[in-house]
Amino acid sequence: MLLSLKIGVVLSFVFAVLSLSILVIRTFAFGKRIFHSESRKEGKRGIVYAFGRGMLPWEKESAAKHLPTYFGGILYHTGIFAALVYLFWRVFSLNLPAPLMLIFRIVMVVGFLSGIALLLKRAALPVMRKISCPDDFAANVLVSLFVTGAFVETLYEPFVPFFYSMAIVMFLYMPLGKIRHCFFFFYTRVLFGYSYGRRGVMPPPRKQKA
Amino acid sequence: MSERTGSKDLFEEKIKGLKTEDLEKALQVFREKLNNEYSAYLNSCVHCGLCADSCHYYLSLKDVQSLPAYKLSLATDVFKKYFSFVGKKFPGWIGSKKLDHERVREWVDSIFGRCTLCGRCSLNCSMGINIHSIIRVARSALAAVGLVPPGLQSTVDTAIEKGNNMGIPKEDWVETVEWLEEELQEEVGDESARLPLDEKGSRLFYTVNPREPMFFPLSIVAAGKIFYAAKESWTFSSDNYDVTNYGLYSGDDQAAGTMSERLILSMKKLGCKTLVLAECGHGFNSNRWEAPEWLSKEYDFEVKSILEVVADYIQQGRIKLDPSLNPEPITLHDPCNLVRLGGIVEEQRIILKHAAARFIEMTPNREKNYCCGGGGGQLAMTRFSQRRLEAGKIKADQIRKTGAKIVATPCHNCIDQIMELNKHYKLGIQVKTVCEIAADALVLNKNKK
Repeated sequence: MLLSLKIGVVLSFVFAVLSLSILVIRTFAFGKRIFHSESRKEGKRGIVYAFGRGMLPWEKESAAKHLPTYFGGILYHTGIFAALVYLFWRVFSLNLPAPLMLIFRIVMVVGFLSGIALLLKRAALPVMRKISCPDDFAANVLVSLFVTGAFVETLYEPFVPFFYSMAIVMFLYMPLGKIRHCFFFFYTRVLFGYSYGRRGVMPPPRKQKA
Repeated sequence: MSERTGSKDLFEEKIKGLKTEDLEKALQVFREKLNNEYSAYLNSCVHCGLCADSCHYYLSLKDVQSLPAYKLSLATDVFKKYFSFVGKKFPGWIGSKKLDHERVREWVDSIFGRCTLCGRCSLNCSMGINIHSIIRVARSALAAVGLVPPGLQSTVDTAIEKGNNMGIPKEDWVETVEWLEEELQEEVGDESARLPLDEKGSRLFYTVNPREPMFFPLSIVAAGKIFYAAKESWTFSSDNYDVTNYGLYSGDDQAAGTMSERLILSMKKLGCKTLVLAECGHGFNSNRWEAPEWLSKEYDFEVKSILEVVADYIQQGRIKLDPSLNPEPITLHDPCNLVRLGGIVEEQRIILKHAAARFIEMTPNREKNYCCGGGGGQLAMTRFSQRRLEAGKIKADQIRKTGAKIVATPCHNCIDQIMELNKHYKLGIQVKTVCEIAADALVLNKNKK
């Protein structure tokens, strides 16, 4: 059974990658945007900014004003990433060194708690409910269960079928709903950085007088 | 065109009267405007809501309809309904919605009535979605079925029909320039000082906002005085001189392209080398960044803001300014289209630091500055006037906190809005263009003739 689940994890992952690739193709099917205006500065400097300094709370007001959500989001996604790395390790029957395992456990449990906090925020605030759809809740629950599965499995090995099952469901759901942003995040940040970079808006000088 | 006749709202009647083929046409145009970039944005919103506080509408009105993520969802929900598998099969699950009368009504109210296309939410989006670009795509769809609010549409129509958005006849423009030339000569004490019209072979082709000859003629004299002091070779055109382009706001790319192309044709006819755009935020964004996209062509000439030109004069020592001639404290409002969306960030600061004895920055400033509320065509759409003034409270508070007596802003839409905010919120300030302040500080050798 375990082997079947392992194969299931690999196949569902392949499905997710292929489906996301189709989404990329569909995105480009709308036509590639070509710029005709002359760049003021290099677009790639904007891209570097978009993935670096531009993500920091003192550079971005939306993060600075919502620090708990900002750090909650970072911790949640770090936990998901740790669970994904751990899944890879487990599927290929690799062993994590004990100190690393401890770090993974901490990252995953903090990630899980952050995910739940974000879920509760979405459910509790009327404005958040108004801009949410069932997919927003489902995606969070699904991924949080996956992270939980990974964490519990590190302590209690018989939990592995649940962990693998959650991974399969998550990968199958990935291209269909909100989790697709795991790909689009990187793409939109590139586009964002490039468009503001070429206009000379980003990166702003490091020291701006108030 | 009047928006209301008796108790009837003609625009509302227009929405009610939309036929299925109209809705299909709007959807078709929405589809045509998409590309890989916009499609990625439409797939990416995670509804985190962190954009809320970046929008001056949401901060002032506190209603969900003003929240950028909500405004974006009006477009993404339609996109998902027609262009995604899950959206077609399970609309309730991801919130996809048909483009019907109700949705169109919401689009008009939020996409035209609660957004200035200022791009502040885009800068603050966790995902990096250029939200304002998508809002403009939705405006294009509405424009295709004649649903641009009347005041904004008539501004575009006037510009297309008459060559400038105020409908100024050519002879009036020429007479105004001649009259202002005399004013300039008197001011600089030199009868040879010129406001040149149609002077072939000039280096710079200078454009103005038609509100300048109509209501703010001194800003034309100010630019002329700076060019005079710098001994610049420049000219106006008697035909096409309107820097504004309300097609940017209405979403009508064809009209927008026509307006921008006219400037290019006049400039080329006169053999000028650089298109210099007067102090107009959206005019700069339109003609510097968007027009080559509307026209699908790369320019073989330079397009510059007058602020770049004047900042260069100062740095090259071509003009001298005496800041003591502007002793009052001056603050600066950064127009969104010029700064956040245009990249002209430091030039106006270089000028003001040389021209004013006391220059005070607003907080936040530069690309992070709040929109004043006058962009996006809001000043032309009277049906949303009250909302525009309420949304301007953020800017009014920002100005008040500086304690400045003069607000400099290189944009006539911003000037008009801040002048209204001045009245509405009793700020007790004066509003000026950056060039007016620079011109007041110019050190000239008078009485040459």
